[in-house]
Amino acid sequence: MVLCFLAFPVFAILGIFSVKYRKLTYEALDCLFRTVTLRKCRSSLDERIKSSMTGKTMKYSPWAAGFIYKNFKVISWVLAVIFIWSTYAASVGVYNYYYYGNCNGPDDTGFCMFDPGGENSGLSEVDTYTQSEIVYPTLEGNDPIIGNKNAKLTIIEFGCYACPYTKKAEPIVKEVLEHYKGKVNLQFKTFYIPHHNMSFQSALAANCAMEQGAYPRYHSLLFEMQDAMKNNSFHSMAEAIGIDTVKFDNCIMTQKYSDEVKSDSLMGLHAGVKGTPTFFINEQKIVGPKPFRTFKTIIDEELKK
Amino acid sequence: MIFGYDAEKYRKDFPILSKDLIYFDNACMSLKPVQVIEKMNEYYKEYTACAGRSSHRLAAKVEDEVAVSRNELKNFVNAKHDSEIIFTRNTTESINLVANSIGLGEGDEVIISDKEHNSNLIPWLKLGKKGIKVKVAQSNPDNTFNLENFSKCLTPKTKIVSVVHSSNIDGVTNPVKEIAKIAHKNKAALLVDGAQAAPHKDIDVRELDADFYAFSGHKMLGPTGTGVLYGKIDFLEKMDQFIVGGETVIDSTYTDYKMEKIPMRFEAGLQDYAGIIGLGEACRYLKKVGLKKIEQHEKKLNSVITEGLVDDKNISIIGPKEPEKRGGIFSFNVKGVKPNDVSKILESSKNIMVRGGAHCAHSWFNNHRLDGSARASLYLYNTEEECKIFVGEVGKILTMKV
Repeated sequence: MVLCFLAFPVFAILGIFSVKYRKLTYEALDCLFRTVTLRKCRSSLDERIKSSMTGKTMKYSPWAAGFIYKNFKVISWVLAVIFIWSTYAASVGVYNYYYYGNCNGPDDTGFCMFDPGGENSGLSEVDTYTQSEIVYPTLEGNDPIIGNKNAKLTIIEFGCYACPYTKKAEPIVKEVLEHYKGKVNLQFKTFYIPHHNMSFQSALAANCAMEQGAYPRYHSLLFEMQDAMKNNSFHSMAEAIGIDTVKFDNCIMTQKYSDEVKSDSLMGLHAGVKGTPTFFINEQKIVGPKPFRTFKTIIDEELKK
Repeated sequence: MIFGYDAEKYRKDFPILSKDLIYFDNACMSLKPVQVIEKMNEYYKEYTACAGRSSHRLAAKVEDEVAVSRNELKNFVNAKHDSEIIFTRNTTESINLVANSIGLGEGDEVIISDKEHNSNLIPWLKLGKKGIKVKVAQSNPDNTFNLENFSKCLTPKTKIVSVVHSSNIDGVTNPVKEIAKIAHKNKAALLVDGAQAAPHKDIDVRELDADFYAFSGHKMLGPTGTGVLYGKIDFLEKMDQFIVGGETVIDSTYTDYKMEKIPMRFEAGLQDYAGIIGLGEACRYLKKVGLKKIEQHEKKLNSVITEGLVDDKNISIIGPKEPEKRGGIFSFNVKGVKPNDVSKILESSKNIMVRGGAHCAHSWFNNHRLDGSARASLYLYNTEEECKIFVGEVGKILTMKV
């Protein structure tokens, strides 16, 4: 009986693709129905599975085959419990994947079978930093705001201009800001990744551009030019957007915003950021370039508050 | 190789044996040699037509081939006339034909043995509604036929004795010749269910003195859906028709019809010509191999299996212990393991095909309070090596100690 319970959903799914499983589905269903109506199961499906497992095991060990044959009911129950548990876990995984882009939730970048390539969970990581108490990041006047300054909700992004995953999140962020125009804005905080080429320098450059009121344009340009970034790229980009390059070069050379960049990164570390991009929407965290629906789920929740 | 018999020589004729399997379910269905398959294809490819209706060349060819096949079957059972061979769909239909046509009436008695297949039980039980009584002759404790018990069942009201020649439960062959003598002395007719005997031994219906002999094509290398009823011409002439329609009459009006000659009057509707022609080819094949050799070969194989397993206290063999009394059938139960499970385990472990269950003889198993048995049934293409593998695998089931 137990196996009929297990077999029914499995064969029902396989039956969509193959006729031979449809017959087995009916057998399993009939067995289930008779069992719940306190009648003897007519189907010998479980017997067949039991014998098949016994026979296959007998090839290797008659003792193990005998054990399976004798204790099949117990084994069936163990399998049933595992099945129920795994079905529950898989359902949670599917739910999380749909709403948060990762089977394990929005703040997780672990392996997810629905996203085996880690498309939604890529992260430029820094060395593990153990934070005993999370201090959520706050808005700072010296960091740029993209979008309506009076918006009800602010997304705080910890990103790195040299990070491919931060770059990947860019169009998603733009889509979010467009969708929630007026209601949601974004504050980008540079979280430099020491082992990434030009990470620190690009953070300094962005701040130097902001000084001249050209932050949004320079911010976008940094991502556009990410793959070709060199020491002299920052000057060329400043020139391209028409800002005062002497002032800009001087700002870079003196590392005028070094403390600011380090301070942003430290704030990230205190908030438990392990890599870029990491987003904070109030106290909810999204890690990696998660899809639009992940942001939407959380933003909708927060806007309701 | 046993007694100069080389099964390997014949195995190449059976395409299915090229697969990695051991086929021990021959009591249910035999495999088909290419010769039979090709002969059937010949009908479909070269002369697909009706026999006995149209007069064109193709129809004449079918008519000839069916006649050749009928003659082949006549020789196969050593009947006197071709017209004593009636083509049916299987043994079941052959027995039903006799049961419904021989003219039994209220108060008449039928004797069967206690080991009958449902095909030789149900047709008679069904007649019980017409007031016909069915008596069951009990076997000896070792499952062999008890002539004394049988004789006691006979009364002046006994009109027909219908017994199995070789049992599909355990392979035991009944003493049909003696049964015929006793039945005929009592003026009762004898119908023999030869489904398990005709494929495995030389059948001489005249020597057996059987009035009817029923058997199937599919158990003797022939096509499925083919069967034969041999009937002594005197009986057939007196018998009523069973299924009627096309080809069973010479002429008809809106109120009456005139019966065809035998055997056509019993072969209603369009026949399975390809099957009948294929069955003739199967007879030729069996004759070429030699039925006596096949019988000896199967008994030898059965002794290999029996000797390998008989001493284990957890195995019970159905029927006599002596393999020579069980022909090519080894029917058994393993203590603690259901018969169907045994067959499935054997298939899963080594691709050995045996049958598990009551083998359509529920009455016998119910009477003996058994769920059924696992049954290995052998044929001309099985080998000693296969039997040894089978013994090894059953031995493993026995060591499971359930």
